[in-house]
Amino acid sequence: MSELDVIRDAEERGRTDLWPFWRRAYADGDPLPTLTCQVSRPRHRFDEGDALPDEYRGLLLKMLRHEGERAGNKSFLGFMATCLDLAEALFPTQEMKLLKAEYLAEELKHAIMFHRVAVGLQHDFALRDVPYAHYAFHLPRETWADDAFFHFLVDLNGAFHARDWRESSYVPLAKMSATVERDELGHSEMGYYFLAHICRERAGKALVQHLLGKWYPAALDMFGRSDSPNAPKFIQWGLKSVDNAEIRQHYKAYVDRKLVALGLEVPDERRHRRFL
Amino acid sequence: MSDEPDGARPTSFAGTIRAVSTAPTPDIVEEIRHAYDRVGITLDRPATYGTYYRLLCAGCGRMLGNVGDKLLPGMASTLVDEQFELYASGLLGCACGHQRVVTTGIDPARAEAARARYADARDPS
Repeated sequence: MSELDVIRDAEERGRTDLWPFWRRAYADGDPLPTLTCQVSRPRHRFDEGDALPDEYRGLLLKMLRHEGERAGNKSFLGFMATCLDLAEALFPTQEMKLLKAEYLAEELKHAIMFHRVAVGLQHDFALRDVPYAHYAFHLPRETWADDAFFHFLVDLNGAFHARDWRESSYVPLAKMSATVERDELGHSEMGYYFLAHICRERAGKALVQHLLGKWYPAALDMFGRSDSPNAPKFIQWGLKSVDNAEIRQHYKAYVDRKLVALGLEVPDERRHRRFL
Repeated sequence: MSDEPDGARPTSFAGTIRAVSTAPTPDIVEEIRHAYDRVGITLDRPATYGTYYRLLCAGCGRMLGNVGDKLLPGMASTLVDEQFELYASGLLGCACGHQRVVTTGIDPARAEAARARYADARDPS
């Protein structure tokens, strides 16, 4: 049995009616929008070991620094520890605590996958500590509803970016994009499942509506400024297909639809925003 | 995840322009500590590599959650203040009720209004 088969087997044995959440999400078709590049650009393709143009290498490393899920990134592992801390302190049911354990296992699988990309790209990058810079990763989580919002919104951000990597000019990223996308969408669905559970009670729904005002602007801010000077470079090199504004709009439409389905009021999209 | 945080220009509530850094941010940590002190929550020592901190109930010491040190200037106090009603009504905070007591001491009228506002939500009928 190959190493990948061993991992696959371990994942198979973790399956329940709920986990992995991506199964149901994709059962009725593709849940995510198609991200198509609308500008003319040269066709690049680089594989592991190829000589990379300096600008390309710089942009790729920048992208992977912010992605963060690397086994050699101790800040990522530290962040996973905070998830464990929360699961231990705040879990509402044993079932949900176990779901969090499955989530952590899957994120650690990503850490191995991105570690391989890092090693293939630049050896000293593989052990570089890169704390998450965006404030969305630092917002206080004081209740299970906060944690649910983190998964629903922040993991969904990861799913949208992974979707964009399907057409990536960097072959190792394109190869792993479908797995990362599907897993991250599953994590988002897990958060949504938690939110739906909390919203069953009126007090819970009131809490969720209030906390949405904290998480919604952070989620939209995660895509960066709409006039980012780097976005056209990423697109030209084939590392992204669409700019920050476009992917944010697709994301917002997806999130708003899900929030309305929970009976929640969608906040003003400009309220408390820092990266417009 | 985006390409933005390095050199991005976030606009804080106060309208200041600051770059987001990955360096340690002691001022932000002190701001977070002060913001939570006001509502009866203690910022514990760093839990993971100086980046994330546990939030403990100042009344009984129970862990209530966690927070990271890359919040933007002014953000911690705004977030905690916007959660005042949740602490006052008991929707957020420790089961021992400490934050409910503390917020009532800070602003009795606001705390009472919050309890009245959320009383309906707490009514199981």
